[in-house]
Amino acid sequence: MTALPLVGFVALSSALFAVGLFGILTRRNFILVLIAIEIAMNAAILNFVYFGAFSNGTAGLTGQAVAVVLIGFAATEVAVGLAIVLALNRVKGTINVAQANELKL
Amino acid sequence: MRRLEWGGWVSVAFSGAAMVVGVLIGVGEMVNPGTYTDVRYTWLHLAPAPGPFPNGFSLVVGTLVDPISALMLIVVTVVGFLVMLYSIGYMHQDRGLPRYYAELSLFLTAMSGLVLADNLLEFFVFWELVGVCSYFLIGFYYEKPSAASAAKEAFIVTRVGDIMFLLGIFLYFYNFALAGPAGSGGWAANGFLFVNGNQPYLLGHGLGGNSTLLTVAGIMILGGAAGKSAQFPLHVWLPDAMEGPTTVSALIHAATMVAAGVYLLAVASLFLGFTSTDQLAIVGIGGFTAFFAATMAVVHPDIKRVIAYSTISQLGYMVMAVGAGFAMVGLFHLFTHAFFKALLFLAAGSVIHAVGTQDLFKMGGLRKTMRLTAIAFAVGGLALAGIPPFAGFWSKDDILSAVYSQLGSHPAYWPFFLLAFAAVFLTAYYIFRAWFLAFSGDHPRDPSLGHAHEGPWTMQVPLVLLSALACGAGLLIFVPGFQSLLLSGAGATGIPPVYGTTDLLISAASVALGVSGIALAWVLWGNGRVYALPETSAAQPVRRLLLKRYYFKIGYDWIGAKGVYTIARAADFFDRFVIDGTVHGFERAFALVSNRLRRIQSGVVSDYAAYVVAGLIALFVILLIVAPYVVSRLGGG
Amino acid sequence: MSLEELAFIVLAAVALFTAVAALLVRELVHTILWIAVFFVDISAIYFLLEAPFLGVLQLGVYAGAVTVLLLFGVMLTRKRIFSREAVTGLDAVPLSLAVVTFIFVVTAVGQLPQSSETLSVYDPTLLSQNLFGTNGPWLLLLGLLMMGAVAGSIYLVREGRE
Repeated sequence: MTALPLVGFVALSSALFAVGLFGILTRRNFILVLIAIEIAMNAAILNFVYFGAFSNGTAGLTGQAVAVVLIGFAATEVAVGLAIVLALNRVKGTINVAQANELKL
Repeated sequence: MRRLEWGGWVSVAFSGAAMVVGVLIGVGEMVNPGTYTDVRYTWLHLAPAPGPFPNGFSLVVGTLVDPISALMLIVVTVVGFLVMLYSIGYMHQDRGLPRYYAELSLFLTAMSGLVLADNLLEFFVFWELVGVCSYFLIGFYYEKPSAASAAKEAFIVTRVGDIMFLLGIFLYFYNFALAGPAGSGGWAANGFLFVNGNQPYLLGHGLGGNSTLLTVAGIMILGGAAGKSAQFPLHVWLPDAMEGPTTVSALIHAATMVAAGVYLLAVASLFLGFTSTDQLAIVGIGGFTAFFAATMAVVHPDIKRVIAYSTISQLGYMVMAVGAGFAMVGLFHLFTHAFFKALLFLAAGSVIHAVGTQDLFKMGGLRKTMRLTAIAFAVGGLALAGIPPFAGFWSKDDILSAVYSQLGSHPAYWPFFLLAFAAVFLTAYYIFRAWFLAFSGDHPRDPSLGHAHEGPWTMQVPLVLLSALACGAGLLIFVPGFQSLLLSGAGATGIPPVYGTTDLLISAASVALGVSGIALAWVLWGNGRVYALPETSAAQPVRRLLLKRYYFKIGYDWIGAKGVYTIARAADFFDRFVIDGTVHGFERAFALVSNRLRRIQSGVVSDYAAYVVAGLIALFVILLIVAPYVVSRLGGG
Repeated sequence: MSLEELAFIVLAAVALFTAVAALLVRELVHTILWIAVFFVDISAIYFLLEAPFLGVLQLGVYAGAVTVLLLFGVMLTRKRIFSREAVTGLDAVPLSLAVVTFIFVVTAVGQLPQSSETLSVYDPTLLSQNLFGTNGPWLLLLGLLMMGAVAGSIYLVREGRE
């Protein structure tokens, strides 16, 4: 059996999440934003697996099961996100999110 | 037009039915004097609870038939019916007939409700209904600016009285809420009823309260009555109320509006009780008004206004009688007065209907073309002047004797008694001045008025009936049943007409004054004469003062125009600069802030994501830093 | 320092480096290469955590499918694949937001009780039983959801729509 520090894992996933967040906030290219979202999402999925692995009984299984579901979600989300990217590109001729500001008053 | 008049007959029929019922109720009360029939329904009851009403609180609607309401019911329904009938002829060409009959019917309903109310709150409700109906009817010709303003004037002036009345009600509640017979739970718990069984509810319990507050309450009730009954200093509205149709004037002056004030005083005197200070104030107002109003009638050229001033004057007599402690005597005068005053107004209405003017100096010689009206007006005038055996004599004499009997124990009544006595002379003079000006002589002074004629039968029948009543109503005092009606009311102190030496002397004096008044009128105005006061006479300023109505109206107008307008200006300033300023200040502050905040709405999705993250961080700060800190400071877990 | 710990530190360092590199390089295609390495690295962490099924799934879905999808996205929106992105520096505000979030998450998790330091090992058979047995209906629903998402994507990108 391995013995690994929980805090290390959490620090890793938090750091990855922070990197993803930073990317979401700063990148202007829609594809880069999508990639940043994927990084943050992977950090979140990692958390489920860790906490499952560090608990006893079926909780660990549940963590992995949720991870499977989330990976499925993430794949779907990338598909939808890329569809939006293509639609945006066709409509505005660019995939710069700063140009997609129709929400502005 | 024709169909509209059929609508009028509906009102006539129903008021006729009301008259039958009203007279039957009155006769029933005469057969079984002193009975109190109280049918009531509690529509709100609050259970006993700690607080101002430890025994609970009830609101009641009901009808109470007792001697005074039976007496008033006869007056209201009989006069009401006759006025309705007369209106068929008098109003027959008016376009507002549906409105007229609806309002007149409501007026009669309100007045009947007022006299039948069995508790103070219900009384007040009908009191206000009477007020609003008078507003409608005085302003009946609302296209005429003077009528509209007269209606407003009546409403506003009586409103001053109404507010005093309401304050008086509050004070009585405050004083008496818990008072009442043992075991009854107190006045408030029983819905502020006037009577309990055959006894006034507060009899023997009333004046034990705080006498200063009771005095103030009594003065407030007097104020309410003065507003409705046009007593000094709230008398100004009644002469202007002549702007309404003459039939309405007859109703207001005889049976409804102004009678309500006197009736209120009588009810308050019998069921609530007045302190001796209140009584002096009431006698003072009444006696002074009787004289004061009579002086203004002496010079006025308008036939309706002369009668209007005479109403104020006669109401003064009634108020004085009630104040002196003789509520039933006052109501007896109200009873007889209702008939001869309605007669005078309907006769005057007949004249106006025929000649189309109200100016006495344009009339003259009308007795030749309008014999019935001339006789009716003369009968009314004789009754008003107090000439036996006409109705007014008996009741007015009763008042004078009653007040005289109190002079020994209340010397302060003397000046008002003398004023009232002097008013007898003036009354006889001014009413016969009007008669001579209108009916005597050979022909009208204004030649264009030559085509006078009597009205249709609907106008003549009420004149005949009311003439009969003006002749005979006073003699009812000798009918045992009617006498017991006057004397049987619990708490009522009336003096039976014994006609001992003192009474006969007073009667003789007042009759002598009346006759001399008529004689003076004959000398100055009789047989078509027109007396012109010499321009150089020392009495000219007095005449002008009287014609200007003692400048009361001008003064009130000044208060209204200047005083109220100044207050309104101040309020306007406050509203514009303080309230609006505050509102606009907020508005500008929000506009400024939102203009700044608008810039964060960049429309860029990642900016919004940043706000979400900022919110997340704020949540972290609260959960991880603020909340633990607060919990540790509070020392809790 | 055990072998597992050493492996974790190395994998964690690689994961962080690749993630940051993916976001900071100027060429979009390079980004996708870096992110592919990142996905493989995460897969290795799953193996380290005794979750081989997840590791394989990660390799298949992320390192394989998602990477290819992203690559297609880049190709479809660019005339030339190897075109450079405009330089975007390290904005102070988003950076500090990210750092503060990191600190708070670590602090919050550090306050949790450390229940066990021993990893439990689960047979993939157990996981499949859990997934397709107990949670079968939910997985079915997930499938429906994904199908709807794919249908929506096709609707979004179909030709002739303005």
